[in-house]
Amino acid sequence: MNRRTCLEALLPHVTDQLVVASVSGQWIWGQLSKHDGNLLLGSMGNALGVGMGMALGLPHRKVIVIESDGSVLLSLFNLPTLGTLNPKNLVVFVFDNEAYSGSRISRPSATAAKTDIAAIARDSGISRAMTVRDIDAFNREMSSAIKGPGLGFIVAKVEETFEHRNAERSDVDLVENKYRFVRYVERTEGKPIFLGRG
Amino acid sequence: MDQDLAKKTVEQLWRAGINFVTYLPETRLSSILPLLEAEKSFRLVPVASEAEAITIASGASLVGKQSACYMEGTGLFVCSYNLLTVSVRLGIPLLLLISYVGSFADQRNSFRFAPTGIRTEEQLKTLNIEYQVITDSADLGQRIHDAVRMMHALKQPVALLFTGDFTL
Repeated sequence: MNRRTCLEALLPHVTDQLVVASVSGQWIWGQLSKHDGNLLLGSMGNALGVGMGMALGLPHRKVIVIESDGSVLLSLFNLPTLGTLNPKNLVVFVFDNEAYSGSRISRPSATAAKTDIAAIARDSGISRAMTVRDIDAFNREMSSAIKGPGLGFIVAKVEETFEHRNAERSDVDLVENKYRFVRYVERTEGKPIFLGRG
Repeated sequence: MDQDLAKKTVEQLWRAGINFVTYLPETRLSSILPLLEAEKSFRLVPVASEAEAITIASGASLVGKQSACYMEGTGLFVCSYNLLTVSVRLGIPLLLLISYVGSFADQRNSFRFAPTGIRTEEQLKTLNIEYQVITDSADLGQRIHDAVRMMHALKQPVALLFTGDFTL
């Protein structure tokens, strides 16, 4: 199982949800999905927090976060906060390849040794936190989490792949992406997001 | 910070339209927290790090909340990465309510706070974040309203640094 096969499986399930991706997931997701509700952050350690804020700010709307082991490890304080706040409309996918693959020399992350992100999440109060190790399990848990209510936290153990190192980069600037996302939320929620008119 | 000043601060935040507040408690302005909690029009979000105070509030702003982050001045250094890579980089309106510990007018200043306090304004300048220093209740409402208007006009974080009477 690798990140692309998982994201390809996720793709048909994404309709009107809001999707936030950290830098490690955004290359593949950005290629696969042209959904206006995608916010591709281009940084590590931020997607889970931003997704939490969206889920709290728009509690009737499902929010999906695409994270990685390195990015979650950078902001581990998110897990106790997530367990405490427990937003019912948030699903988090952590693609754990046990490496800092973006470093181009693939240094191992702590999950290659003894760290278990799903266990940390469970001990932080996220009861529906689990690790999946094959595509069938991913499909089953992903589908259930997307369709059902409640906070979902799925750590997918994936093989390290290297396609992102040669992938064509998007020419959509982060600010352009933000406006596309915000206009999508405005259209679908029927309310202005940014105040202050010209 | 006396109770009247805390009440006035919270009332003016409400009047300015703020409805989502992330926070990590600290000493100088902490009396605003029970008042924010009591006013049900605020969604009050406790966090474990100022870093996620910024990311969570940014996410809320992107779906239509009028967001503020309340933190100690030392927290500005903790969350600078997140401010820079999310709120400043993307351009997201946020009101930073910062207790200006270690500043000249901080009435509880000490060796614990001064070394960070004297660098706080320089840090905001480095981040290109506009800010105002507030030392007393004069024009408090107007200054909060002005800051909120500025954050929407710039589509950027804007900071209010509270010191002086707010640190008593």
